[in-house]
Amino acid sequence: MAPIAAELPDFTTEAYKTAYSRINAIVIEGEQEAYDNYLSLGTLLPDQKEPLAQLARMELKHMKGFQACGKNLGVEPAMAFAKDFFAPLHNNFQTALGEGKVVTCLVIQALMIEAFAIAAYHIYIPVADPFARKITEGVVKDEYTHLNYGQEWLKARFETVRSEIEQANKINLPIIRRMLDQVADDAAVLHMEKESLIEDFLIAYQEALMDIGFGSRDLARMSAAALVA
Amino acid sequence: MFGLIGHSSSFRDARLKARDLGLEELAEGELDLWCSAPPQLVETFELTSATGQTIQGTYIDSCFVPEMLSRFKTATRKVQNAMELAQKKGINITALGGFTSIIFENFNLSKFQQIRATLLQWERFTTGNTHTAWVICRQVEQNAPRLGIDLSKAKVAVVGATGDIGSAVCRWLARRTGVAELLLVARQQQRLEDLRQELGAARVLSLEEALPEADVVVWVASLPQTLSIEAESLRKPCLMIDGGYPKNLDSRVASEHVTVLKGGIVEFVRDIGWQMMEMAEMSNPRRQLFACFAEAMLLEFEGWHTNFSWGRNNITLEAMEQIGAASIRHGFSALGLEQVEASAIALVA
Repeated sequence: MAPIAAELPDFTTEAYKTAYSRINAIVIEGEQEAYDNYLSLGTLLPDQKEPLAQLARMELKHMKGFQACGKNLGVEPAMAFAKDFFAPLHNNFQTALGEGKVVTCLVIQALMIEAFAIAAYHIYIPVADPFARKITEGVVKDEYTHLNYGQEWLKARFETVRSEIEQANKINLPIIRRMLDQVADDAAVLHMEKESLIEDFLIAYQEALMDIGFGSRDLARMSAAALVA
Repeated sequence: MFGLIGHSSSFRDARLKARDLGLEELAEGELDLWCSAPPQLVETFELTSATGQTIQGTYIDSCFVPEMLSRFKTATRKVQNAMELAQKKGINITALGGFTSIIFENFNLSKFQQIRATLLQWERFTTGNTHTAWVICRQVEQNAPRLGIDLSKAKVAVVGATGDIGSAVCRWLARRTGVAELLLVARQQQRLEDLRQELGAARVLSLEEALPEADVVVWVASLPQTLSIEAESLRKPCLMIDGGYPKNLDSRVASEHVTVLKGGIVEFVRDIGWQMMEMAEMSNPRRQLFACFAEAMLLEFEGWHTNFSWGRNNITLEAMEQIGAASIRHGFSALGLEQVEASAIALVA
């Protein structure tokens, strides 16, 4: 049987560019949200202000990298679409922030969004244009550090934060699933499959949850919401 | 720590297992949903050898089901992701059970070592085929005489003779067991011819030609869907070792003078504190398991942290002897007719 070789799409077609204008915008908006969110988290965790500001700066650097990827292909990112795309998660983060719920904020930003990004970037790299490939490879290394930041903080307080993590998971994981569904058609044009996006997201997300202290039964139960459309 | 990568024997079983674990969404979900499910660390358990040594193992369900075989990318992902999980958990040696090693081999996955941020280290994995081949040979040697078959006068057909396990079984039966004649059955003619020349005394036959001549038939190929075996045309008695995967030969031949034994299965000397073998259709799930899984246990007991069985046609008689001696030392025995009879009696009672 033939081995799997990633087949590259034609980056110059209108169909590709239209899909890319939305995906690129999502990525840019995602990095912008991450920047804002890490800075906001610094207000809830004053002693963590400096490391969080450092994470935020990295996200801003990523955002600029992805803006360059769009320019390189001559694509205008569909930012209005991307803002709508992130709105439900954005609103939940803002609500939690207003209520001083650090744990929920970390689950949304440092676990879910980071795991989503790691999955998407890994799947994108083999089918990206050479310019975007190089940039994304650099970004993906950083994103693991961000996932790790949230992981370590939650792990250190596992018993006290456990139920809030479960609650945040319950409310926000279905939103992540809807976001994955929403992006699936455009991702397919970029040769990124929905099936593997979901699986890879769950691998990164479950790994973080397991490291934080959840058992394997908990993981399967908690992540089911991402599998059910 | 050793690892086992397994999967449910059908989509139906996978759903039942999910229900058992209280995962209603998964139990209700369609196949598409399962195609996106990540591998799961199902359980960690202990095992104590006949020598008294205790080791720990972890069972990983890849969430693959045989219904995914036609989905090339999905099947590939299930195998690679389960292997990545095993390595990330720091497991020394992990056996690729069921379809896992078949997919790995047939889809040529050794070409894809990088899985996301993980570079798979092949020395942490084993197909378990050396132990499986040794166990199948032992099942032939121990059970044929019980049926009154004298192996020094017997013809033994090996169906799937050119495969990794099949070729090792042929070498052993020819050189160590000393069967009267080997009948080689497989699809690839060139490989068959090469094997025949290597073995010296052996005949290449079609399945239809080989079956009526054989006193013992060793199946190490998956059975064609359409296969039907005319029991009347077979030798009386006839011993069949079902070493393929999945094991469904007994449903194809039913006759009082044909004895079908599940091949490549071992029984451990004491109960193993695990849950997952119950779905694998073992008659004694606390003690019986696939020989390929047992190979990972043996490698952990002995501290042989290496890909003992890897690639195709690399199994030597010396390696079979080595793993066979370890198998006996630690308390494994090849599944024999007496265990099958005992469990049949238990069922009746």
